[in-house]
Amino acid sequence: MSLLPFVLVTSVGAVLALLLRRNDRVATAISVVCLLGAAVTALAIKPGQSVVVGGAGIATTEYLRLFLVLGAIVGLLLAVVGQAVGSRRDAPAVTLGVLATSAMALSLPDARLAVLAATAGGGFGALVTLAPIGGRGGATVGTRVLRATVVAGTMAVAATAWIGRDLSDLAAQPVVFGLAYLAFALAVAIRFGAIPAHAWAARLTDTVPESTLPLVTAWAPAAFAIVALAWADASIAPLLVDLDAVRIVVLAIAIASIVLASVAALVQDDIEHIVGYAIIGDAGVVLLAIAALDPAAWAPARTWILAFVVARSAFAAWAAATRTVFFTGRVADLRGWAIRSPALGVVLALVVIASVGVPGLAAFDARGAIVGLAVEGPFALLVLLGTLSPLVYYGRLFLVGVGRPDERHAGGGSWRPVVSPLDLTDLRRWLSRTWSDNLAVTATGGAALLAVLALAVSSGAFGASAAAAGLPPTLDVSRESFAPEDPPPPIESDAPSAPPAAGDESPAP
Amino acid sequence: MNQLLAIVALAVVGGAVVVVASRDTRTVLLALAVTLVATPLVADPLATPLGLAARLVGAILATYLLWVVARDRGMGESIASPTGGSRIGWPAEVLMAAGAAVVGYAAHGLGAPADGPALASAAGFAIAALAVAPVVTGHDVIRVGTGLLLLIDAALLVRGALGGTPGDVEQLVTAAMLIVLAGAVAALAANARADGSGGYVFSDPARGRVRREPDAHPLDQS
Repeated sequence: MSLLPFVLVTSVGAVLALLLRRNDRVATAISVVCLLGAAVTALAIKPGQSVVVGGAGIATTEYLRLFLVLGAIVGLLLAVVGQAVGSRRDAPAVTLGVLATSAMALSLPDARLAVLAATAGGGFGALVTLAPIGGRGGATVGTRVLRATVVAGTMAVAATAWIGRDLSDLAAQPVVFGLAYLAFALAVAIRFGAIPAHAWAARLTDTVPESTLPLVTAWAPAAFAIVALAWADASIAPLLVDLDAVRIVVLAIAIASIVLASVAALVQDDIEHIVGYAIIGDAGVVLLAIAALDPAAWAPARTWILAFVVARSAFAAWAAATRTVFFTGRVADLRGWAIRSPALGVVLALVVIASVGVPGLAAFDARGAIVGLAVEGPFALLVLLGTLSPLVYYGRLFLVGVGRPDERHAGGGSWRPVVSPLDLTDLRRWLSRTWSDNLAVTATGGAALLAVLALAVSSGAFGASAAAAGLPPTLDVSRESFAPEDPPPPIESDAPSAPPAAGDESPAP
Repeated sequence: MNQLLAIVALAVVGGAVVVVASRDTRTVLLALAVTLVATPLVADPLATPLGLAARLVGAILATYLLWVVARDRGMGESIASPTGGSRIGWPAEVLMAAGAAVVGYAAHGLGAPADGPALASAAGFAIAALAVAPVVTGHDVIRVGTGLLLLIDAALLVRGALGGTPGDVEQLVTAAMLIVLAGAVAALAANARADGSGGYVFSDPARGRVRREPDAHPLDQS
């Protein structure tokens, strides 16, 4: 089973790094090596494999492979950026833990098991709040992160348990299906910190560095959301039950998150809060896909999730690099940042294209498809315009960036590499000095790599669209994609009846 | 009704009552261990030995991680830091759990034939009711953390009541999840305790509460 090495490397690495966290250097070295190993072992995953153990089991898919490869690479780059800007020392270990649990969540065909693994991922996420000094504030915020995770997990366990049995002798009103669906959808909203369940995410943004934020509010909940999508498509969507009332609730949360998060990001003074609300706004699109309750939303939703998590990671890295270069994260104090550091300007431009997109990019088209499936009529156009609202706060950042620099804050770290003459007699000191002289360059370089990666994923590179259109993990792997004339699967099946999006190739595992 | 199953369910709920009612951290953790260890036994039929072993190890390891934090005395501390405890007292907690258990027993299956025992449903509802107060109103890491572990344990009991005894893989994943969640609570609790002399208390315990001024006898009129 090709998934096993990945799970072993990430889980053992996470546990080792957390156990040795008192020794900062050793723990970081273990984490970085294991992240490298995770990238290699993720690339070695072979889609279409399955192992059955006592009626349950795990199965690999192309989407799982792509998610884990991207997760490992992004985690590695964020770890490097975090080292350069002074991030939390536990962040790389938490990344490993989130990757291990995501691997399990995305490979378990039974949603009842997958939600348990995804909930454990949230438990790892809470550990980024641990701080060596002044730990009480971090512990307070971390406990609230954990509370959101467990409450969401409890709702998801109850929802999947209610439907995950023989319901041929159903005595309750069919509306109970709607309640189960609502419970899981709200659980996803809570995990993402969607508005109005965003209080914990806002406090988290106050506490942790920018580069660690996407781990907790994007990557870990993304696995949970993918499980929710598969479950809703297989268990709820095929039912001939009127669920409009509960769909409206989910739609309201999704639209409120998209629009109000952009408003909140616009009025924030600090770039880390802008990053935090940007993640919440993009998560609103994922909620829209869940609200669509249409198997046709399966492929675009998973395409969007990939683009969203990578693009927001790049945005977070940009924010971290900007803070390092200019020694401030206050927007008002960053006047002229794009002029003084053109490299960061290019990085943000790439992030904008990757996250907002242009017609023709896979992520842009996926978002449009999701909106079209979730909302009907002229309101769909308004919602689609709402999804473009991030342009407003990006515009504000660029306006500040090309403004006349404030003399009081005209300083800032150099964004050009500084390399002193090589000293072969004391190579260690030379390396140390070169590293410390180039922290801003390293952070900017990491952010640039992430931005390029985000643009590639957003444009559908690496076979993202085809992977997203593939089947969820199944123990009896089908070699055919679903065609429109295929009959819907039975209620207890884990496979969605979604036809692949137009133009997408069927994934042949 | 299987009498042995009823006794085990009673032990599970009894442990949960102690978890939410006691202020002594070590007592809380001992009771939590009883609840977590006995939870997989509230099933009919029982899980396979492999599945039971996984849950047993998971429950013990989860509690041990919390115990490590509770047993270590901080600098200058002569006794273990207390946790919040119940504000309404254990008799009220028992009554609340009993009421919720009746609801859970009566609502067994939630509208469709269930594959598990009704006692699991009763115990799950009782523990969920008990967990609400610490999760919502708790002001220290241990109280909220143990409340969260009880809440997810309640969901697992209800899952067993609805879908029947989980298989080996599910027991293994459940055990791993409990260890991760308990480990996270333990790490957060240790971090809070290492910061000053406030024990496990949150940094902003008064947040969300409105303190009324003494308006019965306004100071400016006295």
